Amino acid sequence: MAVYKRRYAPYTGSLTPERSRFFVLTRYAFADLFKSRFFVLLLILSLVPTLFFAGYIFIANNKAVQLLLPMGPADMFSVEARFFTFIMLVQTQAAFLLNCWVGPILIAGDLTNGALPLFLSRPFSRTDYVLGKLAVMGLLLSGVTWVPSLLLFTLQAGLAKGDWIWSHMWMVVPIVLCSVIWILMLSLISLAVSAWVKLRIVATGVIFISFFIPAGLGEMFNAIMGTIWGRLLNFSYLFQIILARGFREPSRLLGSMGWNEIPVPAAWGVLIFVCLLSLVILNARLRARDTVRG
Amino acid sequence: MMNPTIELNGLEVQLGGRTILHGLTGILKGRAIGLLGPNGAGKSTLINTLLGFHSPSKGSARVLGLDSHTNGKALRSLVGYMPENDAFISKMSGVRFVRYMAEISGLPPAQAMERAHEAFVYVGLGEARYRPVGTYSLGMKQLAKLAQAIAHGPKVLILDEPTNGMDPPARKRLIELIREIREASDICLLLSSHLLRDVEETCDEVLILRNGQIASICNLVEERRANRKFLELETIGAEATFTSTLEGLGCECAVFTNGRIKVVMPDGVEIREVFKVAADKGVQIRRMNHRRDSLEDIFLNAMELTGAADGRI
Repeated sequence: MAVYKRRYAPYTGSLTPERSRFFVLTRYAFADLFKSRFFVLLLILSLVPTLFFAGYIFIANNKAVQLLLPMGPADMFSVEARFFTFIMLVQTQAAFLLNCWVGPILIAGDLTNGALPLFLSRPFSRTDYVLGKLAVMGLLLSGVTWVPSLLLFTLQAGLAKGDWIWSHMWMVVPIVLCSVIWILMLSLISLAVSAWVKLRIVATGVIFISFFIPAGLGEMFNAIMGTIWGRLLNFSYLFQIILARGFREPSRLLGSMGWNEIPVPAAWGVLIFVCLLSLVILNARLRARDTVRG
Repeated sequence: MMNPTIELNGLEVQLGGRTILHGLTGILKGRAIGLLGPNGAGKSTLINTLLGFHSPSKGSARVLGLDSHTNGKALRSLVGYMPENDAFISKMSGVRFVRYMAEISGLPPAQAMERAHEAFVYVGLGEARYRPVGTYSLGMKQLAKLAQAIAHGPKVLILDEPTNGMDPPARKRLIELIREIREASDICLLLSSHLLRDVEETCDEVLILRNGQIASICNLVEERRANRKFLELETIGAEATFTSTLEGLGCECAVFTNGRIKVVMPDGVEIREVFKVAADKGVQIRRMNHRRDSLEDIFLNAMELTGAADGRI
C-alpha cells in the first residue's frame, strides 16, 4: 500500500508479542501527558520534597555541615523509621494530587467518542485495556512514592555507612507494600471515575469527593453512635494506620485521630474492598456495546 | 477445502432478556457479503456477535473457520472493523490515531506509522492527516474509520453502514474504494447497509435478515447471471398478434389494460427484435422500460415471503 501506488495491499510484516501490547496504551498516554506543561510542572513539584529530604539526609550524615548551622543539638537530625514514615506521608499526598489530574482523562477520552469498540475489535481484551491504563498510573505514581523513597533509603545507607543498611533493611517492605496499596487504590478509583464521568473537572471533583465525603460521613457516624468504626470510610486514615504499623510507629504520631485505632486487618480489608468495587465498576462500564434491558 | 467466509449454526443471541437473533443457520461463501434488513432486524447484533462483543446463548458463528466465541482473539486478529457510530479519539491527529490502532493490532511502531500514512493517503485524506480527528467533517470521519480498519491489513473487513452521512460524490468514492480493496487482495468483506445500492455495487452475496431471522441468502453473481430481462411496454395497435409473435420467439407476455404489456425476454432475444416485430405488426411502442431483477426486487421478495407487510429498510 505504498503512498505513490495508492493501492491497497495486505500487511505481511512481523507482529509484536500479544502479551506486551497493552503497553502501547501506556506509551501513548505518557506521550499525551508530557505534552501538557501543567502536568510536567505538577510532576516536578511532587518531586521537590524528595530534594529537601535528600538535603536533610545529607546534613544528618555530615557533622561539619551540622556545626555550621545556627541550630540546636546535632542529634535533632535523625534518619530512622519515623523520618521515612513522614517521607511516605508527603509523597503519597503528592501522588494523590497527581492522580486527581491524570486519572480523570485516561478512559474518558476513549469513551467520549466511542473509541472503545475499535480497541476491543482487535486482538485486545478488556483486561489488556485496563492493564494498559493502570500501568500509566502505576508507573507515574511509583515515580513519586516508593521509587524516591527507596532512593532516599539508598542515599542514607550510603552516607550512614556501617551496618545501618542491615539494621534498617526491613523498612524496604513497608515502603514498597504501602506504596503499592495506595497506588492501586488511587489508580482504580480514578479509572472507575474516568469510565463514568467524561468531564475532567467533574471527574477530579468526584475523586476528591470519594475521599473526603465518606470520611466526613464516617466522623458524623462516630459522633452520633459513639464509636470509631465510622473511620472505616476514611481511606487516608486507614492508609496511615497501615503505614504506621508497617514502620512500627504508633499511629498517633501521624495525626490527632490515632488514639482509638481501627485494627490493621480491617484497614487492609476496606482498601482491598474499594479496589474490588472499582474493578466491578470498570467491568460494568467498559463494554464494546451497551445492552438495553427490557 | 477453503473455509466458508461466514458459517452460522443455529445462532441465537439474547440481549437484555430479549432474543435478538433466532437460531440463524446458513453458510456464506462469497468474498463480499452484504447484510441487509429493516431496522431492528439484527444486523448490528450479528456483526457484534461475529466480533465477539456478544456471546451466543445457543449455537455458534464462525468466520473463516474461527468460532467467534471460543476463538475470539484469533478471529479479531484477522478483522478490520469500521463501526456505524462515531468511533475516534477526538484530540489525536488522524495519522496518529490510525497508527495507534495499528499498533494495538500488533504492528511495530515504525511499520504502524508507515501504514497509517499509506492508509490515510489511500482513502483520500492525505492532506488532512495531521489535523485532530475531532475537527473532521462527518464524511472525513467515515474515511478515517475506514483507514484505521485497513491499516493493519486485515483478512476480513467488516463495514457497518460505511456510507452513512456522506454526500453522493463522497459515497461514490467510498464505494469505489471498497471495490478496489476487494479486488486488490484476497480480503473478505462484510458490509451492512440500509442502502441497497451500496450492497449491490460491492457485494457478491447477500444475507437478508428480518426480525432476527434469515429472510434470504442470495448469491448476487448467480442471480445476475440467471436473471431474466423484463420489458414493460405501452403500446397502441394489434396487441394480440404482437404478443403471439413475441411468444413465438420464446418470450413470455402478460397483457394489461390500456395496451400495457410485460414481456419476459429469454437469453438470445434482443430488444431490436421486439422493435422489428412491432414494426411488422403495425404496433406503436409509446413507452419502453427495460430492466432486470434488482436487489430491491430480491429484498422485497424476501420481505414478502417472510410476511413483512412493512418492508421498511
